[in-house]
Amino acid sequence: MIKVSDLGIKFKMGKRQRSRVFTFLFDRSRNRQRPSGEFWALRHVNFTVERGETVGVIGRNGSGKSTLLRVIAGIYPPDEGEVIIEGEVSTLFGLGTGFNAELSGRDNIYLDGIMIGLTKNQVDGIIDGIIEFAELGDFIDVPVRTYSSGMRSRLGFAIAIHSDKDIVLIDEIMSAGDAAFRQKAEAEMNRIMGEKTVLLVSHNMYTIEEFASKVIWLNKGVMAAMGEPKEVIGQYLAASNVKKPPPDLE
Amino acid sequence: MIEQIRKVWQRRELLWYIVKLQMKAENKNKLLGFAWSFLDPLLLLLVYVVLVGMIFGRGGPQFPILLFVSLISWRWFTSSLTRSVTSVTSKLGLVKSVRFPLAILPLSGIIVGFFDWLFGFVILVPMLFIFEASFTVNVLWLPVLLLIQFIGTVGTCLIFAVVGTYLSDLGNIIQFLIRLGFYLSPILYSVTDMIESERLAMLYMVLNPFAGLLESYKNIVIRGVPPTEYALVGAAVACVVFLIGLWYFSRDEFKLVKAI
Repeated sequence: MIKVSDLGIKFKMGKRQRSRVFTFLFDRSRNRQRPSGEFWALRHVNFTVERGETVGVIGRNGSGKSTLLRVIAGIYPPDEGEVIIEGEVSTLFGLGTGFNAELSGRDNIYLDGIMIGLTKNQVDGIIDGIIEFAELGDFIDVPVRTYSSGMRSRLGFAIAIHSDKDIVLIDEIMSAGDAAFRQKAEAEMNRIMGEKTVLLVSHNMYTIEEFASKVIWLNKGVMAAMGEPKEVIGQYLAASNVKKPPPDLE
Repeated sequence: MIEQIRKVWQRRELLWYIVKLQMKAENKNKLLGFAWSFLDPLLLLLVYVVLVGMIFGRGGPQFPILLFVSLISWRWFTSSLTRSVTSVTSKLGLVKSVRFPLAILPLSGIIVGFFDWLFGFVILVPMLFIFEASFTVNVLWLPVLLLIQFIGTVGTCLIFAVVGTYLSDLGNIIQFLIRLGFYLSPILYSVTDMIESERLAMLYMVLNPFAGLLESYKNIVIRGVPPTEYALVGAAVACVVFLIGLWYFSRDEFKLVKAI
């Protein structure tokens, strides 16, 4: 179960956060007139995902979807509000950045598995299934930097689905594979649905509509709507289409 | 802070795996692979033996081993520092994908550095016979000295991992500091050769906490005498730095994730 109440995540604008010592030493004069460059990547977010439920998260780029998944994975601590999680969370490797490009696919599976708390023996037990599911064949032993984006996505999805955690976070990895893989991935989704708690981020509305029992629409870090998939997706699409026309190009 | 140590200990399997991967990744795409772990320090030794022994005609008959034992220990410290500065930013993908104790990142660099030290030590052993080092029971002090160095290095690296994440310029600064530290520490020379006044020598050993440690390595491995009392200065500084590092890292750990 995931229970999020009044969640707020704050980032500092600008290049990087400075330590206080640094600001004190080098930045004193400028700091006074500088406005506090903060922005809320998420604010006042409230929802509950019951055990076994699949919830879709939609929204435009930069609306806070990935940040939300990271909060649930425990990577960002809430600046406001509270997040209660019952059960163990799988990985976000599907975001594509998690793989170590210099290492082989096999090494990356071990790395990811051990990262999320499996033992080496447990990874030994599931690795064949992952390799087979990801359809990587001989590529499994060459560095990930040589993989196509489809191969990376398949590997990420395969790991997430095989890691056997109670809560599975899926960020846009189903849409990258080809038609055959998608079909397999969807079958796998159907298998784990009801058994695991799934949070699914996607720009593919068909995927969301097919699997989610509830949809959260994030807009600029706040919840624009939550509820029936059809309804919320309809509102979201309507809002996206009825945009202001692009500004004149002069 | 104790919580921090406990968290890292719980994830020791992950730490070990990252160490293995790091060693693998560093030696990949190299024709000689792991042989470089032996070649690197040997070639460096050769350079300094040519410089000091042949060009300047200094150093004495045991110079190569005196130099080598301090060189590998100094390299353990500096390579750990260099790695720690980018340890968090270079693992951006991992840090943003899975929750784990971030202290594992600088720590893994220190352990990789320790393996390099071990490889160096393996080369040193036959050299000890060639250059007729005095073997005594004092060599049993070695684990104690290594532990002091480890504790001090962990503390320093925890601090540098945090500062290096906020401030990329640290990478440039650290290269300069390491070079300066190299010449200020008794690596190419021994304190007794350089400073005749006993009081000056004492002042030097107190001001440079690494000096006592390096002279102690030479004492126990080559000269066959106990460590110098100045190793205690090193031990005290190491403990203080360790506590500061642990406190600073624990305080900023979560901020780091957002800063990158």
